[in-house]
Amino acid sequence: MNHTPDTTTADNGGNFDPQQAAALLDQATVQARRRFSPGPPLLWVYRAAFVLVVFGGYWRSVRGHDPYSAPPGGLVAVIFALVAINIVWSVWALKRAGAGVSGPAQRKRQAWIGVMLVAWVAAYAVTAPLYHASASHPVWALYPASAPLMIVGLVGAATSAARRDWLTAGITLAIALIAAVAGFGGPAGAWLIMGIGLSAVCLGAAAFKVWQQHRSVVRP
Amino acid sequence: MTTDELDPLIHVPTRLKIVATLAALPDGDTLSFTRLQDMIGLTPGNLIIHLRKLEDADYISSEKTRNGAVSITTVALTGHGRTALGTYTQALRDLLGGL
Repeated sequence: MNHTPDTTTADNGGNFDPQQAAALLDQATVQARRRFSPGPPLLWVYRAAFVLVVFGGYWRSVRGHDPYSAPPGGLVAVIFALVAINIVWSVWALKRAGAGVSGPAQRKRQAWIGVMLVAWVAAYAVTAPLYHASASHPVWALYPASAPLMIVGLVGAATSAARRDWLTAGITLAIALIAAVAGFGGPAGAWLIMGIGLSAVCLGAAAFKVWQQHRSVVRP
Repeated sequence: MTTDELDPLIHVPTRLKIVATLAALPDGDTLSFTRLQDMIGLTPGNLIIHLRKLEDADYISSEKTRNGAVSITTVALTGHGRTALGTYTQALRDLLGGL
């Protein structure tokens, strides 16, 4: 380092007692964890509300409609707006957390994001041909509700476990399991199960993140 | 156990904040000098003084890279530094438990 020192006010630990040290260590650790976290708890709370609105909205539009044609325009507009907010917020949180950070864990995270983007696009791309092939009501209703998230969840769980990110592995595995269970809910019930299940997972993730960020280093 | 047994290099508010901040990163990841400065809230000169002391003890490592006209300094906690922080934290626990 060849910066030019300005004032030399390096402090010392003369009057620094253990209680103060413990409090400062906890405070600095909590602050660092929060600022390095790519998924803040508030974003997970937003996602919990977001999936409830999206899947709940689809459930309301699907139930009692056989054959099912398409969701109402208003719902589609709301979904697009909520998805856009989720993407913008997620990208902002990722950039803020990773600013000035480099190294193997960062590179692995970036590679993981690339893999997950491909998995998302591939899983949902299949819904377009289904729509154009006039797939049956159960197929059309079930496939977009549960199958893509089962695929994305399993890919996410396997790749997260490979890079020893156990929190993300747990979240994505829970998503895959909920998607698998939702498949048994029928064309309308699948959307409701997904909405409630995913919302619960997101709230669980938010609660775990709060606990993880605030747990004491000194007092176990 | 007495406070004298706490690692004097870490038992200084600013250096404790530096080490705790770097310890929150995954092993092997580095942090830019400017981001660390922003998080700790010190002038560059003061931060360098503390970083030098930690680097002399092999608690942190620093690297300077050039990206065109811009030079970027990054710092990381070494394995030795991580162990020292662990020992310091345990000593704090023991002290607080005995108080």
